[in-house]
Amino acid sequence: MKPRINVIWNEIYCKRCLICVEVCPVQVLSLERNEIEEKDGCIRCYQCERYCPDIAIEVMDEKGRG
Amino acid sequence: MDRSYKELLKLRRFPHTWCPGCGIGAVLKNVAMAIKELDWNYKNTVAVSGIGCSGRMSGYMNLDAVHTPHGRPLTAAETIKTVRPDLNVIVLSGDGDLGSIGGNHLLHTSRRNPNITVFCNDNEIYGLTGGQAGPTTPKGTKTLTSPRGEPYSPLRLGRILTQQPPYFYARTSVYHLNHFKTCIREALLWKGFSFVDIISDCIELNGRRLGFKTAYQMFKWFDQRFHIVEGERDHLQEDELGIAKALVEEVPKPAEKIEVKPEIPIESLKPFTLEELQQFDGSGGKPIYIAYKGKVYDLSGSLLFQGEKKMRCHIAGKDLTKDIDIAPHGEDLVFKFPLVGKIEG
Repeated sequence: MKPRINVIWNEIYCKRCLICVEVCPVQVLSLERNEIEEKDGCIRCYQCERYCPDIAIEVMDEKGRG
Repeated sequence: MDRSYKELLKLRRFPHTWCPGCGIGAVLKNVAMAIKELDWNYKNTVAVSGIGCSGRMSGYMNLDAVHTPHGRPLTAAETIKTVRPDLNVIVLSGDGDLGSIGGNHLLHTSRRNPNITVFCNDNEIYGLTGGQAGPTTPKGTKTLTSPRGEPYSPLRLGRILTQQPPYFYARTSVYHLNHFKTCIREALLWKGFSFVDIISDCIELNGRRLGFKTAYQMFKWFDQRFHIVEGERDHLQEDELGIAKALVEEVPKPAEKIEVKPEIPIESLKPFTLEELQQFDGSGGKPIYIAYKGKVYDLSGSLLFQGEKKMRCHIAGKDLTKDIDIAPHGEDLVFKFPLVGKIEG
């Protein structure tokens, strides 16, 4: 479980299928050195979490780290 | 966002064994979400799965589950539903399992219409065995066993399952998520056999051969191939995502007419004594009267008393209250006949 700015990424569950990277409407996610990294600018649309087939990425709730 | 659906998944077994980007993970997740929303749990739900990649879905769910032999999830599910009608039964399987090996079971289970819900992960190929052409492979698709393109037309599950009402057939895809969730929810709530045909991606064994690099490119391909249709439909065309459902039109039964005989007040009835009653035994053209519970009935119309003084064991012209009580028939046989008087004293 690796926290990013707005998402929590689970490196054990993740299989690097890159659905979250491609589904993101503002392209803040990317795969760098085999890890999912996040840039600034997340609009909290939850698309990555909804489309992830491996339950490997979660958008943090507003109260958590916002 | 509600993440309580994770209670229904065996997270200690994760990551699951499916390939990166496989649509079965999305099916598993969304089915678990829908079941959790309906507040079904491990106490009232059974998952049945067949053979194939999708057969592992029941193993990752925190429910009582059966993993059946090739093509037999529907038989097992119908048996469970017959023996324990209080349980909710869901079938998690694939197109190769339900459409080809278990095709005959699909026909006859849908005909018998048990209250089970089938989730068919339709990736249009035999995924587990390496990407051979399956029953739902579209015509012209290059697969492991058809390198020049599949020469035969696919099995149209939608047409087979919507041939006669009642039916519930929904086609959806893992890309159209909101529609996908609606279909799952409606199928779970449908009373009867409901079938959800989920167009899913097999990127490793099908998509790469078709020229897609990632699972998301296959999703976009689904978006080009299919479009969502709204409203209630009888049938779905091959490029439509939607819900086709129909109920049997029940013919209302004609209401049975109940003849209400006007009740005659007992005071206005003609009084008889037992001696007078004995004369009416049917002899010499007289009517046949009997007494029952203080009232006198005219049994002349009875076929069994016709032309005879007595009918096997009942004697005409007598009080038959005790006889009728021990007789195999009930007292309603007497009430069919007209009331003519009462017994005095």
